[in-house]
Amino acid sequence: MITFMLILHGLAAVVLLGGLTHQALAAIWPVRKGTGAGGGGALANSFRGVNARLYTNTNIVLYLVTFILGGLIYPAYRLAVRTWIENARLWSISGMFEVKEQFLAIGLGMLPLYWLLWRTPADQPLDPQFASARAWVTGILCVVVWYSFVAGHIVNNVRGLFGQ
Amino acid sequence: MTTQMRAFTLFSALFAVVYVVCVEMNLALFTYHPRLGQWDIGTVPARTGPAMYWFGWLASAGLAAFLATLLATPLLRRMGPPVWIGWAVPLASMLAFFWFLRSFFLR
Repeated sequence: MITFMLILHGLAAVVLLGGLTHQALAAIWPVRKGTGAGGGGALANSFRGVNARLYTNTNIVLYLVTFILGGLIYPAYRLAVRTWIENARLWSISGMFEVKEQFLAIGLGMLPLYWLLWRTPADQPLDPQFASARAWVTGILCVVVWYSFVAGHIVNNVRGLFGQ
Repeated sequence: MTTQMRAFTLFSALFAVVYVVCVEMNLALFTYHPRLGQWDIGTVPARTGPAMYWFGWLASAGLAAFLATLLATPLLRRMGPPVWIGWAVPLASMLAFFWFLRSFFLR
């Protein structure tokens, strides 16, 4: 059951990564209408040229699902994996996971603001301070999820990567 | 800026700050003992096997930030924090954790 939840946790994280990366790029580096490509190749333009507003609710649900699944498998990590990591004296790997859990917790507290910042209808002009906040909040959540994904994978494969 | 925006901005900042305080001072609303599969109210030392406080820290920070934001709501109708507080404080809290957890990376 733990393995099943771990795989689900990873799959949900992959989808969340895609959604948040699309949305963060669209918020930080939007495609300008009527100004040609506005920098970047065709692939980059299509990647960031999405209707970012549509991603918000899905990203929140995915963040919560991934978070809850992570919480459910955390005790198994604490008992078996962390013990092995500490016995192997892989302190930086253990630290990577500690940073991950703290980052994700703080990201959780940012979700209500993230939701509200993306609520403004597309046809209404957005105050510059809200546009800036939207880009920052989405960018921070994107970095948090990317970091957590990479750290989670390293921890998950720690015996293969560092086992003697 | 609407009251809702001010409240969510305040909550985001408060949650991050209170969470850092809860982690650093180990103020967990409850403790989980994974080896025993048991929960305790409050911050309880490890019994058989390790004790997990992370769930309790989340609950402590969530509850404290929610109550503080709720109490501040009448004030938020007239004034409130700028919206950048809502991302700058969490970002600073994340950077603070790198400092608090530096011993893991310096051994």
